[in-house]
Amino acid sequence: MASSRSGGGPSMRVLEMEKMSLEQLKAVKEQADLEVNLLQDSLNNVRSATSRLELASSALQDLSLRPQGKKMLVPLTASLYVPGRLDDADKVLVDVGTGYFIEKTMAEGKDYCERKINLLRSNFDQLVEVASKKKSVADEAGVILQAKLKQVAPSP
Amino acid sequence: MSADIQKQLQTLSDDYQKLQGDLQTNVQSRQKLEAQQQENLGVQREFNTLPDTSDPSGTGQIYKLVGPVLLKQDKNEAMLAVTGRLDYIANEIKRIEEKIEGIQEESEKRKMEIYQIQSQAQAAGAEDQAQAA
Repeated sequence: MASSRSGGGPSMRVLEMEKMSLEQLKAVKEQADLEVNLLQDSLNNVRSATSRLELASSALQDLSLRPQGKKMLVPLTASLYVPGRLDDADKVLVDVGTGYFIEKTMAEGKDYCERKINLLRSNFDQLVEVASKKKSVADEAGVILQAKLKQVAPSP
Repeated sequence: MSADIQKQLQTLSDDYQKLQGDLQTNVQSRQKLEAQQQENLGVQREFNTLPDTSDPSGTGQIYKLVGPVLLKQDKNEAMLAVTGRLDYIANEIKRIEEKIEGIQEESEKRKMEIYQIQSQAQAAGAEDQAQAA
């Protein structure tokens, strides 16, 4: 059916949608809405991942400022802390995913966080672009669908 | 519409529904595989940035989480494991994609059959009405 959706600008798409039957248009609108929701979910996921990394980055920054042997309270659970002493703030263990950890220096660890954050930012920007395009398709389909429904309705 | 055609339609639409369900589960598992692929690619990229010789004194030591403990692991071994996993995932994705294509073809066929039977039934119904009039 309407598989040639990629070619042409928005006006082409509108023309194509004007030609569709009500059922087809409804299907297109539903599909577009579904995709918009999916993209919105991914955007939220990317956002939360970014904020987690930012938290890790600031924790590293904080840690790097403490001298060796600094006394601190270490959380065992959310409400139980035990006293401890900072041993070596220059070596950190980074969780790179799928169960693998890499020992890095403080500088490398910070660099890792920065790189990941930048990667996620660029992904985020790309996703925003795709999502806004999809949203405009969904909106166009909605407008045309409304117009068609109006044409059909006032003739009882 | 005769009971015979109605029954036929019913089985066809049941088939169609089932195919749609299959499609959904397969699409979901492909999405999951893709997420795993991305994660493994990230790990691989990270391994590639490590210095080639893992000097025993310094950083760049790889650990693997096995249950609750971290085990030291050789870099080559870890890289091999990750490439193996990536190969496996790529194969799985290919397999599932073929499956999805097959299901889509099948469900398109069912849809056409349903359309055909419906339009035939409509034509027959119109004829009956014309005769009755």
